[in-house]
Amino acid sequence: MTAATISRRRSPASLGTGGRAARRLKTTIGTAALLLVAVYVIAPIYWLVVASSKNAGQLFNSSTFLPAAHLNWISNLKSLFSYNSGDFKWWFLNSVVYAVATASLATAVSTLAGYGLAKYRFKMRGAILGVVLGALVVPATALVVPLFLLEHDVHLTNTYEGVILPLMVYPFGVYFMSIFAADAVPDTLIDSCRMDGAGEFRTFWQIGRPILMPGMVTLFLLSFIGTWNNYFLPLVLLGTESRFPLTVGLGAWASDLNLAGAGQPLYPEVIIGSLVSVLPMLVLFPFLQKYVARGLTLGAIAGE
Amino acid sequence: MTAPFLAVFAMFFVAPLVYSVILSLRSPLTNGFTGLLNYRTVFSNGEYWSGVVRMGYFGLIQVSVMIGLAILLALFLDSPYCRGRKFFALVYFLPFAVPGVIAAIQWGFLLEPDLDSVLNVPHHLGLAAGPVTPLDYRLSLYAIMLIVTWEFTGYNMTILLTSLTNVPHQVLEAAKVDGCSELAIATRIKLPLIRRTIAFIVILSIIGTLQLFNEPVILNEIASIGNSFTPNQIIYNTAFSFGNEQLAAAQSVILAAITIVATVAFFGLVRRKLGPLAATRGR
Repeated sequence: MTAATISRRRSPASLGTGGRAARRLKTTIGTAALLLVAVYVIAPIYWLVVASSKNAGQLFNSSTFLPAAHLNWISNLKSLFSYNSGDFKWWFLNSVVYAVATASLATAVSTLAGYGLAKYRFKMRGAILGVVLGALVVPATALVVPLFLLEHDVHLTNTYEGVILPLMVYPFGVYFMSIFAADAVPDTLIDSCRMDGAGEFRTFWQIGRPILMPGMVTLFLLSFIGTWNNYFLPLVLLGTESRFPLTVGLGAWASDLNLAGAGQPLYPEVIIGSLVSVLPMLVLFPFLQKYVARGLTLGAIAGE
Repeated sequence: MTAPFLAVFAMFFVAPLVYSVILSLRSPLTNGFTGLLNYRTVFSNGEYWSGVVRMGYFGLIQVSVMIGLAILLALFLDSPYCRGRKFFALVYFLPFAVPGVIAAIQWGFLLEPDLDSVLNVPHHLGLAAGPVTPLDYRLSLYAIMLIVTWEFTGYNMTILLTSLTNVPHQVLEAAKVDGCSELAIATRIKLPLIRRTIAFIVILSIIGTLQLFNEPVILNEIASIGNSFTPNQIIYNTAFSFGNEQLAAAQSVILAAITIVATVAFFGLVRRKLGPLAATRGR
């Protein structure tokens, strides 16, 4: 009897399975399946990197998933940032402005509201919680057309505020924070801070805010990604190209691809523009994954 | 503490919601009140309802495939047979960082035979009369399914996987000591314990499906698949191509009602299987 068989018998994980060979077979088959799905996930991203190095001619005449003989990243980037007097650079900056402002404001407002709902007992509390939960089921797009009309009346369309303010309303964030704060912030700490004579906001600032910080990071990231990726709302609310975020700008370029007489179609620009739009997030994603996943999951589990 | 939220919520959520109901009761011609006229127009609008039915069909196939795949992946990543769990979990979650517009651009180009040489391979091998054209009118619905599945399988799997790591260790150890196979543990212990999370992601997917917009709009720009594929596209066209905001408001209200009914119906369907709602509270 070898050491291996002994250790196998002792290992509880292999109890009830068909031994080491069967286990290895299952691992191999499973890993092959996982790799297959990974190829499905990675292929379009890999293609985007390869295709962004090709000029218009190479896009149509070279092998799809292999780089062409001459790499044109530099000239594509130049063309991307100079086309139509540099629209793309403004779209990128606009996206940064929309995403940073929305995420900061949504996080601040939702954190305050969630903390308030978790740590105070007041008359309207149940009603507000109910409304917040109900708002999760209302499809956001049902609001976009009337929102446009309302904003149009008060001259908010085509402005930064017009996009940022509605996206600040983040019922999921409030709900998330109320659950997070209920568990994380001990009532005794709040009471002792009050006894020291601190006002309610000061109590929040000194006790609630530092404890809720990890949850705030999660909310900030979720709202940032949501705003960065949003297309429908800015598409409806914005008419001026100089206010577009990346998604709407790239969509506008894409709509010229198929139009007869729209001049030279912007294939290389659309492709490298897409890469530039997703690259920062993809590079940062391994570091952000933990925070983002936690936010999504806390929502799902608490919803049980 | 809740005041700032309630203020923006009232202005940018409640106000548009109330306004769209009021608007939907007004006449497109005179803007005076006309009762349910717009609703009657929507109910007799074949294009709108074929969009709704299309999304029902879409959801039935796409949501089932996506959630099924997400469950399989999560259960396998959570099993002792899995190698490289962290790597795969990260890779599968990556599309969450890609905007729907860009996902549609990527796939739109990859599904165009002019741009994707792979689609010409069956033709060159003599297996097909011409290149494979997934963005052809009959196939474009399935092309969108492929894209949406790409976008959200990893997102759903991530939620399930984190939910699985909350399954108590003692339960799993006890099952192993009792001689349960890993397959039995996965299907008889883990799966029932995460059934509420599964119901939650199905509901999110139903809501998302009925709101589908970005992917068909971008695909239409790349390959002309038609601009009234989904209810949301139709609402957008009604409001901004035809300038009929009143009718668009009625279409929006009906779509919101359909979404809520679909959510509640699904909930009613699985309610008995979910058990009492308070059962897993305080975990």
